[in-house]
Amino acid sequence: MIRLGQYLPGDTIVHRLDPRVKILSVVALSLLIFAATPVEIALISAFLAAVVRAARMTPAQAAGALRPVAVFMAMIFFVHLFFTEGQPLLSLAPLPVRITQEGLLRGIYVTWQFAGLILAAAVLTWSTSPSELVGGIERLLRPLSRVGIPSQDLAVMIAMALRFMPMLLEEYDRLRMAQMARGADFTTGSLALRTRAVAALAVPLLLSAFHRADELAVAMEARGYRRGPRTTLRELVFSGHDLGAFAVIGILILAAMIIKG
Amino acid sequence: MIRVENLIYRYDAGAPDCLRGVSLEIPEGIHTALIGPNRSGKTTLIKHLNALLFPAAGTVCVDGMMTTDASSVREIRRRVGMVFQNPESQIVGMTVEEDVAFGPENLALPSAEIRRRVDACLAMVGMKGFEKRAPHTLSGGEKRLLSIAGVVAMNPRYIAFDEPTAYLDPAGKQRVLEIIRRLNREGMAIIHIAHDMRDVAEAHRVVVMDRGRVLLTGTPAEVFGQAERLTAIGLDGLPGKGGR
Repeated sequence: MIRLGQYLPGDTIVHRLDPRVKILSVVALSLLIFAATPVEIALISAFLAAVVRAARMTPAQAAGALRPVAVFMAMIFFVHLFFTEGQPLLSLAPLPVRITQEGLLRGIYVTWQFAGLILAAAVLTWSTSPSELVGGIERLLRPLSRVGIPSQDLAVMIAMALRFMPMLLEEYDRLRMAQMARGADFTTGSLALRTRAVAALAVPLLLSAFHRADELAVAMEARGYRRGPRTTLRELVFSGHDLGAFAVIGILILAAMIIKG
Repeated sequence: MIRVENLIYRYDAGAPDCLRGVSLEIPEGIHTALIGPNRSGKTTLIKHLNALLFPAAGTVCVDGMMTTDASSVREIRRRVGMVFQNPESQIVGMTVEEDVAFGPENLALPSAEIRRRVDACLAMVGMKGFEKRAPHTLSGGEKRLLSIAGVVAMNPRYIAFDEPTAYLDPAGKQRVLEIIRRLNREGMAIIHIAHDMRDVAEAHRVVVMDRGRVLLTGTPAEVFGQAERLTAIGLDGLPGKGGR
């Protein structure tokens, strides 16, 4: 079963931080990374490495977070490698591209930036349960409800989407089994045949998803869900740790500003 | 007291009436069993009790509040809990405790009170220790218990159960029936849709429905005494002697 958001329960200081602090920190770090010079990138990377360690994540897990975007990262690298003007290192005639020293450095730098962004986001989803994440987003968006953006509804929508994923996967399995039991074949035959067999699942899966959504909506109504004031089981309260985390991020931002002059 | 008078309902305009003039009183604190063949209108009826469906004609009145009065709907849904047939599609939370908290959260209770109710209700259905589990990792029986805990957490006066023992093994059935008995002892009125009449032998009152009407009402002994009328609409006779 796919683990959504890849939340890894734990009891480290990173896990215990208020989700709002973590979300804002990731936003701040992303901005820092975007604006960073190569030297600053190295510093931020060291900071990220320390956070990963504090959250008791292994380097292998960190590498795992980058794997899904590895192709994309490679593309970024090669585009910069081949298409940056400058001191040629290697000419690939007759191809109209050549590798330049600037291209090599630029490729490494941009790819590293990108990896930093992904890793920062990964630490957030590793150390924060989906519900905490949703709760944090809701609280951060709450000021927007004054201008008519329904932050609580948005939070419930995200939560429902997350709740639906495993349900749909189960349903997909069930439908597949039911069709296999009646002789459908998903594993042999030409690609076209297999594609058609899987496509035959799409319609019943979609119908069942709508049906489920309908039932769920009725059940939510029956349990008193409507627009209007709601409270939550867990209230988010800032602790000393959270203030500390804010201070650390603040110092990072200040340092970046001072370096830039 | 829930008072249903001359309730008529059809799902789509032009479709045949699903409920054809149902009148029924459900007093507080009483365990009412609702039996009848498929398509007799049992589920449609209980969906009217907490304002999920509204009468095409006739009225449904909960403790003096009309379900058609929009300003009462919130209070009616707090007083009348509903445990649906399929537990899978009524679990809302991403974890067990969040699901139980969903109803109390909608009532805008303070966090400490929500926590107290979540703990009490999970203990009541025997699911202490499941708080952080994701719903899709639960067994069918556990999902059923969770769906009950989520409704009880709203502290309703009436709870309608739609075939609460469906798909359960014998031990799971006993557990659910024991919970229902216990809730009733604690003063909650129970409306209990059942197919297996052994499940409702200890109800205070049995209501038999057939094709959108109430056919019979009485104590279990009175109702099960009319075996021919029950067989005529396709139900087994006496509890324990049925053909199952």
